[in-house]
Amino acid sequence: MIDKKANIAYSIRDIAFIALIGIFCGVIFFTTNISYNFLTAALTTIGLGPVANDLLLGLWMIAGPLGIMLTKKIGSSVLAETLGGFVEMVLGGQFGAGAIISGLTQGIGTELGFTLTGYKRFGKFNLFLSCITGTIVTFIWSYFNEGYAKYNFSFLILLFIARLVSISFFDGVLVYWINQLIEKSGIIRRS
Amino acid sequence: MDSSIKLLLVLLISFELAFVQSIVVNILVIVLGMSYLLVKKVKLQKLLLLIIIPIIPVASTWSSFYVNGTGDFIHSAWLLSSRIYAYIILGGIFSFTTSINDLLSSLEQNWHVPSKFVYGTLGAFNFAPRVRNSMLQIKTAALMRGEVLHVWSPQIFFKAILLSLRWSDNLSRAMQSHGYAENNVRTHYRKQRIPAWNWVLFITIFGVFQFIVLKKLP
Repeated sequence: MIDKKANIAYSIRDIAFIALIGIFCGVIFFTTNISYNFLTAALTTIGLGPVANDLLLGLWMIAGPLGIMLTKKIGSSVLAETLGGFVEMVLGGQFGAGAIISGLTQGIGTELGFTLTGYKRFGKFNLFLSCITGTIVTFIWSYFNEGYAKYNFSFLILLFIARLVSISFFDGVLVYWINQLIEKSGIIRRS
Repeated sequence: MDSSIKLLLVLLISFELAFVQSIVVNILVIVLGMSYLLVKKVKLQKLLLLIIIPIIPVASTWSSFYVNGTGDFIHSAWLLSSRIYAYIILGGIFSFTTSINDLLSSLEQNWHVPSKFVYGTLGAFNFAPRVRNSMLQIKTAALMRGEVLHVWSPQIFFKAILLSLRWSDNLSRAMQSHGYAENNVRTHYRKQRIPAWNWVLFITIFGVFQFIVLKKLP
């Protein structure tokens, strides 16, 4: 799969596919929303609520790396995540209109990992890179949007580590496992 | 108001809110947004849910700034928690008063988004109720084999991807067999033009918002 060249020519099938992945991931996330709220509630009492947010952020962002790994199209991560954010807002998620903008930043963050190597490879190394860029870009956005600028430094470090761990697991390791399952099954070799 | 203009306005204000350090502005957005939703006769039940759902994240934001904030942490706590509500209301303004069909056809006709993006996403969105059911089916089927699928199990995503592949294949084939051609120019039965007053209203609201922001309210 690695030798397939990346391009930007989307067919309607690719677009529907990416949008469906976005919707599926949204629904998967929503079914865990309850546990998310419990985790947040538990951590809230000791003032660590945002840590729960950062620990699950990787799951939020999974549509992006899945979209780009499976379609190998330029911009597919941005497309998948922005659509995902849109779906979330329409389904009535708790982040409202902010979800689209956050989706956009998450998509760009993941996408950068592949842009850095010119979309030539779609393997482990790029997933690793995209986890790093994804963490940095989304953290910069949170710095303004979620007011991270106003936390004390040690808490900021804790949040950054929680986010890095979450993104590395969900958008790195888990996406790699899923991709292996897909490649083994051979279903993706479409005309 | 045209749905694409409304989305643009909601997104621009949301984006700007991320940089505005004023509790008063957030509350203004919440109050004005709520009044708009009430004028538009959105059901009270929906509005109540809009307020109740984010209680946990709002409380969590408040308490974490209280515990871990620096400087004027009380101000930060109220600022960031009121911001969440402002986002929610802005999201509600869009999602309760417009339809996806309207938005997508406006994007196609007025913003010249390629028709394949419009119909691809439109088709996918119509699968949304089936997506929910299929997710339940996948989980139940796994349970019958004694497997619990968690969000961290690759299988659940694998199955979701299988379905996405199949449905997107079916969808594109069905559309092509109905004569849909990706790169051809399309004509429209229902014409959706953005009236000039929409732009006037857009510029007025956005302008007034800038004016309020520049006042540097507390």
